[in-house]
Amino acid sequence: MTALDPDDLSGDERTAVEHLLYRLADDELVLAERYTEWQVTAPTLESDLALANIAQDELGHARLWYDLLQDLGYSESELIYERDPGEFRHATLAEVPFEEGDWADAVVRGYLYDVAENCRLEALENSAHPRIANRVSKVRGEEEYHREHARNWLERLAGDEDGRRRLQTALDRLFPHALTLFEPTDETVEDDIVGMGIRRRGLDDLREEWLATVEPFLESVGLRLPMDPDDPADRLPDAVGRDRSHTDDWFDLHDEMTHTYRELGRTETTRIMDKPTDE
Amino acid sequence: MIWEVFRQEKTGEYHTHCGNVHAPDREMAKMFAQIQHGRRKPTNSLWVVPQEEVGEVDTEEARFGGTTDKSYRWAMTYQGVDADFAEEVAESQQEQEAAERQRGDD
Amino acid sequence: MDVDEVNERAGPREFGPHDDLPREYREAATRMIQFHANSEIMGAYLEKPFIRQAPSLDRKLALSAKVQDEIGHGQLLYRAAESLGVKTRDEMLTELAEGEGKFLNCFHYEMDEWWETPMIAFFVDGAAMRRQATLKRTSWEPYAHAMDKICFEEGFHVKHGEDIMKELATGSKKEREKLQEAFDEWWPRIIQFFGPTDDQSTHHDFAADVGLKTMTNDDLRNAFIDAYVPKAKKYGLEIPDEPRIRERDDGTYEVVEDDLDWSEFFAIAKNDYDPGKEQIGGRRRAQEAVEWVREALDDHETRTRGREPQAAD
Repeated sequence: MTALDPDDLSGDERTAVEHLLYRLADDELVLAERYTEWQVTAPTLESDLALANIAQDELGHARLWYDLLQDLGYSESELIYERDPGEFRHATLAEVPFEEGDWADAVVRGYLYDVAENCRLEALENSAHPRIANRVSKVRGEEEYHREHARNWLERLAGDEDGRRRLQTALDRLFPHALTLFEPTDETVEDDIVGMGIRRRGLDDLREEWLATVEPFLESVGLRLPMDPDDPADRLPDAVGRDRSHTDDWFDLHDEMTHTYRELGRTETTRIMDKPTDE
Repeated sequence: MIWEVFRQEKTGEYHTHCGNVHAPDREMAKMFAQIQHGRRKPTNSLWVVPQEEVGEVDTEEARFGGTTDKSYRWAMTYQGVDADFAEEVAESQQEQEAAERQRGDD
Repeated sequence: MDVDEVNERAGPREFGPHDDLPREYREAATRMIQFHANSEIMGAYLEKPFIRQAPSLDRKLALSAKVQDEIGHGQLLYRAAESLGVKTRDEMLTELAEGEGKFLNCFHYEMDEWWETPMIAFFVDGAAMRRQATLKRTSWEPYAHAMDKICFEEGFHVKHGEDIMKELATGSKKEREKLQEAFDEWWPRIIQFFGPTDDQSTHHDFAADVGLKTMTNDDLRNAFIDAYVPKAKKYGLEIPDEPRIRERDDGTYEVVEDDLDWSEFFAIAKNDYDPGKEQIGGRRRAQEAVEWVREALDDHETRTRGREPQAAD
């Protein structure tokens, strides 16, 4: 395996690495941002604490991936606060808003995302870009809890007729957005990501593995996928995120996130913690 | 059956695990625990809990406190401001420092 | 145990769930701890929008962790209150949603912008922490145990609050001005945190006699002013002219009470203040919206008697 030296990336290599990092970082940031909407409003105090922690985990992961982009010359301001929201690469699954009280959405979304996250992190463990590979284990160390959390909630809510109905409604709505997780940012760049070994497996491959996990589990709790698994691309939503097309909700969300930064005329972001290290 | 025993040394302190006893029911567990775990060590109160009712999660399966940097949760991280201006803030920080040291020892 | 015996035995961490305590003690302790727990929840509501509006990723993480801690404190405190056997947590949370639960004056106000966050995160939390430190010696043992963990965590909140304040105070002219505006607006409310001077406080005597409270409002206010006024000055904040605060010869402070709006304060104390009512309404909507989840969990618990789903089959 050839290691890509981050200081010495060719133009195409650099583009491929950047696209991959934007996929990872933007997904984690935006989903975490949505998760924090549940802080103070989750069903119970205990579930509030747990979801807040998951949100912080995901933000921490976003921080790790954005940090690698910072090493490629971008500042946090450029990556988040001053970036045109129309340039973000996250899947639309991360950005669609929660309806008030729709905990079924939080649970289903978390499950669909966390399983996909596990598949893609596995495929990054032996990335040709060593600094990506190095950070995977830290991230995976926290993802196990997320998947177990989602599965446990699904099992318990699905045991209740009203709960199962709400989960199914959430699944019907979210599933097309979940498929966007496996869309390319750009066909040519995606070929490079796999061809250069930055990610060892292609998106179709990851999607199949994901489906092979989520379908039987969801069926086992009495939920059905709202699509023909043999033709998943058929069910993509209008905006797929990866190609920078987004729902209006994302633009509103970015506007809120950057409100203080703009209002105070900031040009830099405050660091509290040390820069992440490579181990 | 086996009963886990928790001892509190003085009023107001915490009940901490100190051992267990074999006993056929709660009453007998309390009888035995008094003697086995309370006869010499200072004891203000004992709890007995059926062992099978105790759920456990340990470091085999859990990453307590996470695997990424969460220093934003700790008072020590904010080095640009002091904790000593108020006794209770300083004390909180000392307790956090102690907890972090213990975590680091694992 | 009757009230006389409680008065006699009252001391730090003296009473616990195993003690046969009179109704007066249980109700006074419930009222005090429920107020404290409610305040944690309603304070978290005020700060929540700033998780999203935080101007950096690290600040966002810290705010999220802080709001998480406050909900955690609510969890600890409702348990400490519940263990008195007067009300269940569900009942207390329902009272809060329905506008019957009381909470701290400062959390009835709106907080709209980032530069206001240190007012809660530094000053109000600092004031609360001062009070909480004294409650480690309260007579209701579960309350004292909750304080152990709460005080352990709070140091982060106050330091992070000061860190935000320092950043604003050393930032652009606009940031410094906004910070001063926020301080002018919040300062009287912060002073009122400690309530009116002790002779007007209704529940004080009994709570002090039975060891629930270990320090008077006046003493707490003095300690707070001693530590926090120099901090405000250090960051270039001008202390508003009102309320007038006079230092006495013995080093304690007199706050001129006529300079403060007590009719507003007592309206707030009755949950009869419009912005506070908005906040309570928000809490009610949020709580009702997830009622179905709690019902599903309760059904699940009944079905499985608290064991995993497989065990029920």
